[in-house]
Amino acid sequence: MNRLLFATFPLLLLVALWWLAVIALEVPHFILPSPERVARVLVERLPLISGHAFTTASEIVSGLMLGTLLGFAVACLIGDSKKLTQITMPALVISQALPVFAIAPILMLWLGYGFASKLAMTTLIVFFPVTASTLAGFRAMPRSWELTFQTLRPKRWQLFWFVRLPLAIPYALSGVRVAASVAPIGAVVGEWVGSSSGLGYLMLHANGRGQTDLMFAALIVLCVEALLIWSLVNRLTNRFDQNSHFAD
Amino acid sequence: MTGARRRGIVTQCDPELTVLTITNLDLSYPGHETLATVSWQVNRGDQVALLGRSGTGKSTLLSAIIQDSLAVTKDSERIAYLSQQPALLPWATAIENVLLGFKLRGDTQSPEATEQALNLLYQVELGTYAHRQVSLLSGGQKARIALARVLLEQSDLVLLDEPFAGLDRSTRIQIAALCQKLFASKTVILVTHDPRDAQDWLDTAMVLTTESIKGPYRLNDFASDRALIQALDGDL
Repeated sequence: MNRLLFATFPLLLLVALWWLAVIALEVPHFILPSPERVARVLVERLPLISGHAFTTASEIVSGLMLGTLLGFAVACLIGDSKKLTQITMPALVISQALPVFAIAPILMLWLGYGFASKLAMTTLIVFFPVTASTLAGFRAMPRSWELTFQTLRPKRWQLFWFVRLPLAIPYALSGVRVAASVAPIGAVVGEWVGSSSGLGYLMLHANGRGQTDLMFAALIVLCVEALLIWSLVNRLTNRFDQNSHFAD
Repeated sequence: MTGARRRGIVTQCDPELTVLTITNLDLSYPGHETLATVSWQVNRGDQVALLGRSGTGKSTLLSAIIQDSLAVTKDSERIAYLSQQPALLPWATAIENVLLGFKLRGDTQSPEATEQALNLLYQVELGTYAHRQVSLLSGGQKARIALARVLLEQSDLVLLDEPFAGLDRSTRIQIAALCQKLFASKTVILVTHDPRDAQDWLDTAMVLTTESIKGPYRLNDFASDRALIQALDGDL
């Protein structure tokens, strides 16, 4: 109970300050609606908002899963070879350095306005942290360990499977945790650029009609959704870390 | 001359006896100038401490031996290496780590090998910990598991790279006593910057300076700090 109170205290403080600002500064509701007004919209339009929230959540979760799978697979393919890593690294960095906003119109053109383009964008944003972290895991083996294993005359595949891969797993999981926190960006940007569903779409739609309270309600739901997904991923990855005894 | 005195410890240059020959090996770190140029011959059964200040290339020399540098000729492919950070998989048990070589080579792990591994764990006084996860063991226990693996691999040449660093003095003495007992028939090179690690166990030392490798010396000659400093500076 104390922990919950401790965790929610900053949020409660923020809401209190927001409320105070609205009252004290007499801000028009179409610029900054009061928390009460946003809460009312949230309740009244819950069916509409939850439908869009479901779309965004499915884009985030699917993109997170696909991006993790691809990022991990690519890291496994290139992680065992320094040369391959050097060759592919520029492409990997570019995939992250280009803002998703810049790529979004092209992905829309290729994949349409439906689920696929949002999935691609979320996957793209998730891919790099997972790949980079897993690669760091492959490179983390101390030099003295490399020498020791060399004296055991290992087969390459066996060394990869029994030593390098398990050693890289905690790094990969840490990458997944980072990816989970940025995955919503891909989904929402995709929805902004072109879609007919999702919280990003709902926010744009509400903005166009001057429904600032609905915009705020969608934003709050998006925050809660992102936090829930991140917490879930955190719990899952922590449990996997402990169950596998990967952490020394 | 004060302090240590170079003694006439003659190493026979019989090709039949030679297990390792290093000829004009330039020790260097990537992007840095060459340190010492080393020529050294090690005979079967030699047990020698390799002393030197930090950064003189002691570990680089061992690395060159393991990695088949062009300047290195070895009589045996069976080399064991044990370092300050024993390469033990933290999620595996003690016995799984001892048997790791079989797994990495894709060899079938016979019941005899498992029994031998268990016996070796008993020899290093860890038999009762055979099925305990390595991450739950202490630094000294980990060092002993690594010793058991070295023994199971039946290597002819054992390279020890400061394996006692990071252990307390009493554990160092225990491990050194174990090494003396278990490696009695093996060729051993023990890299260390502290002759006390070797004095309990070895008699002979070579000294690697930034210019060359010098020796052999008797380890007892380094009893005083002054003699040791002279030797490490290459002034002996």
